[in-house]
Amino acid sequence: MTAFWSPFVSSARREADRLRASPWDLAMISWVPLLACALMAWIFSAGLPQQLPIGLMDQDHSALSRQLGRFLAATPGLKLVTSYDDTAQATQALRRTEVYGVVSIPADFSRQIKLGQAAQVTLLHNAQLGTHSGLIQRDVRTAVTTLSAGVEMSARNKRGQPALLTRVAMEPIQTQLVTLFNVSLNYEQFLAAALIPALLHILAMTAGAWCVGRELRDATLDQWLGATPSWPSASAALLGKLSWPLLSLGLVGTASLVGITWGTGWFPSGSLAWVLLGLWGLLALSLVLGAAATAGTLSLRTALSATGFITAPAFAFSGVGFPLQSMPVLARGWAELLPYTHYIRLQMEQLQMAAPLRYTAGSMTGLWVATALLGGLSALLLLRAARQPERWGGR
Amino acid sequence: MGTLDKLWRSWLFTIKTIAKDKGVLLIMGLAPLIYGFFYPWPYGTQTVTRVPVAVVDLDHSNLSRQIARYVQASPRVEVRLITGDEHAAQQALWAGEIEGFAVLPRDLKRSVLRGSPAVVTVQANGSYALLNKAVSYGFSEAIGTVSAGVEIAKLEAAGQGKLQAQASRSPISTQLVALFNPTEGYGSYVVPAVALLILQQTLLMGVGMLVGLWCETGQNRADASTWLGRLLAFCTVGWANGLLYFGWIYWLQDFPRGGNPGGALVLLACYVPAICTLGALLGVWFGNRERALQVLLFTALPVAFVSGFSWPSESLPPLLHSLRWLAPSTAGIQASLKLNQMGAPLVDVAGLLGLLGLLTLVWGGWLLRVTRLRQP
Repeated sequence: MTAFWSPFVSSARREADRLRASPWDLAMISWVPLLACALMAWIFSAGLPQQLPIGLMDQDHSALSRQLGRFLAATPGLKLVTSYDDTAQATQALRRTEVYGVVSIPADFSRQIKLGQAAQVTLLHNAQLGTHSGLIQRDVRTAVTTLSAGVEMSARNKRGQPALLTRVAMEPIQTQLVTLFNVSLNYEQFLAAALIPALLHILAMTAGAWCVGRELRDATLDQWLGATPSWPSASAALLGKLSWPLLSLGLVGTASLVGITWGTGWFPSGSLAWVLLGLWGLLALSLVLGAAATAGTLSLRTALSATGFITAPAFAFSGVGFPLQSMPVLARGWAELLPYTHYIRLQMEQLQMAAPLRYTAGSMTGLWVATALLGGLSALLLLRAARQPERWGGR
Repeated sequence: MGTLDKLWRSWLFTIKTIAKDKGVLLIMGLAPLIYGFFYPWPYGTQTVTRVPVAVVDLDHSNLSRQIARYVQASPRVEVRLITGDEHAAQQALWAGEIEGFAVLPRDLKRSVLRGSPAVVTVQANGSYALLNKAVSYGFSEAIGTVSAGVEIAKLEAAGQGKLQAQASRSPISTQLVALFNPTEGYGSYVVPAVALLILQQTLLMGVGMLVGLWCETGQNRADASTWLGRLLAFCTVGWANGLLYFGWIYWLQDFPRGGNPGGALVLLACYVPAICTLGALLGVWFGNRERALQVLLFTALPVAFVSGFSWPSESLPPLLHSLRWLAPSTAGIQASLKLNQMGAPLVDVAGLLGLLGLLTLVWGGWLLRVTRLRQP
């Protein structure tokens, strides 16, 4: 047992001294991550985007078109900022992104409706800004449908149909959309909850690469691992070294996730403890991934480049923004290799879908088993590195 | 030695240093090229189609089967499972086999025939925005079509003509016109903006690394013309990368592009120096070769979300709304989208370009101040 404990303790002590001596290194695993997570939560603190500016081009100037204007103005997601007289003005405002959409009402709008013909309202929206235009499309459609239903209802009433019957006759089969799990489609929950672990994933792999890579860069591998390292002692030394960043980043992650759930009055129906166990698993795996990249390439710089390549686009590949099942086969294969993809599915299932734990037991096991295997491999690679002192000190 | 001569020598020396330094070359030269293909990769298909769903049919009538057929015909969704058990659908949802389901209630057909309300419940997974949209639209459209058919049949039975019946069913419709990104592809929405961020991050890290190394060896202390030559050398690499994206990668990936090519060049002329001066200043602050990578790797995420292309800037807290302009990418992304994708004239982005110029002056002035030669 001492064969394990003494290298573990001395490595942890050595790392603690080093962290105390280097404010930069300490900052990168403590207050910088904490501040970065707080920043993410702050960015999305508004919850759902509201008051997106749109314009109105009313060429009809009728009571009905003004009513549509009032409906649009009353929609919380929209802010009716200006009205335009012609298309050139509207296009210019769209191009300047003064407004993200323009609702255009044609000249014979109310006349057509009085004649019992179908009329059309046009929404020009800036599709280059996907989120903005998606929200505006939804809200404008709702406003127009409301107006349309009002027109249809009054027409039916004029034909002598009683009001109660009308509602059913107008839509014989109604669709009730129940958005499960993320009830208000609150983006704070959706994005901040997904981005904070993505951020910590980057920071953890960076920290893993950094604390092992520094020994290589400064050519102090023998001081760290001892003169005659064995696989158990190297594993213990690695564990001792990585325990500080794991502890620190784990606490930051725990505080952040608890903060944006319970702290904002969101009590997820799934198990937060399970999610935190998964998050610690993700962080542990990221740390050993960084260590393995350094020990494998024998270069701190290359390992940091690899960290950028693996972790920085992990969010884009995770399926949170663009679904996994719509990706090209090979891209999906890469996505499935990334630990973040599996972690975020686990988190979504617990925090937002309230799924029983057994559905994510596989991902949880995977995260921790991969950590153990990769940790063992890193220790082997460290032994190999220890035998090649001529390659230490590379930049 | 004349100032110009010194500047030219310093430019040449820096270019050579970059070319010989494997690490810096990888990040400044090769990484933008790799990310130009790697980042758009997952979005290759651009749209979300054939999302797996289930239909829970509790009615077993010809009407409910008609709805199931209409859902099957929708390109947005693909029916993987038709079942009479709602619990089975819920389990498939948790297991990730389907992303949503519709429940057709027991007496659907009877209610419709009797003229009493019939409600189909559609459950979609709100945790994933695009899947949720595909599922709810796919079901709504199919059910809406069946519902409209029933209503029009009833109106016709009441004596209205077919066209008349269609018009009185839905008197006002909305026509949606997508501007600038006409196919509404996801990749063509995200990648043109992220491209500017990739340019910024790779350049910041490369410059920061090299300047950090110079600090270790004391080369950071130099006169203004030497520094100007160095900065111009960094900019040269940055401009080349910018041209690669605007000219080749946008075209290769078939993103909306070429709205205002002249304007895009002016943007690059302003954007790249703002990044290079900031990168050099950060490098001096870090004073260590690898520190630039360690500190800057994670910043891409927060910087992307304050820039206003995916999260509406109207929804940012007021203080953050002002602070975000300190990163060149905020003005760079907005100006690039306007020039390249929306085809705006240069005058529409004059303010953004002015801001980039101001950032260059402030960062550059600060840099020259902290790196000036010590008086002997």
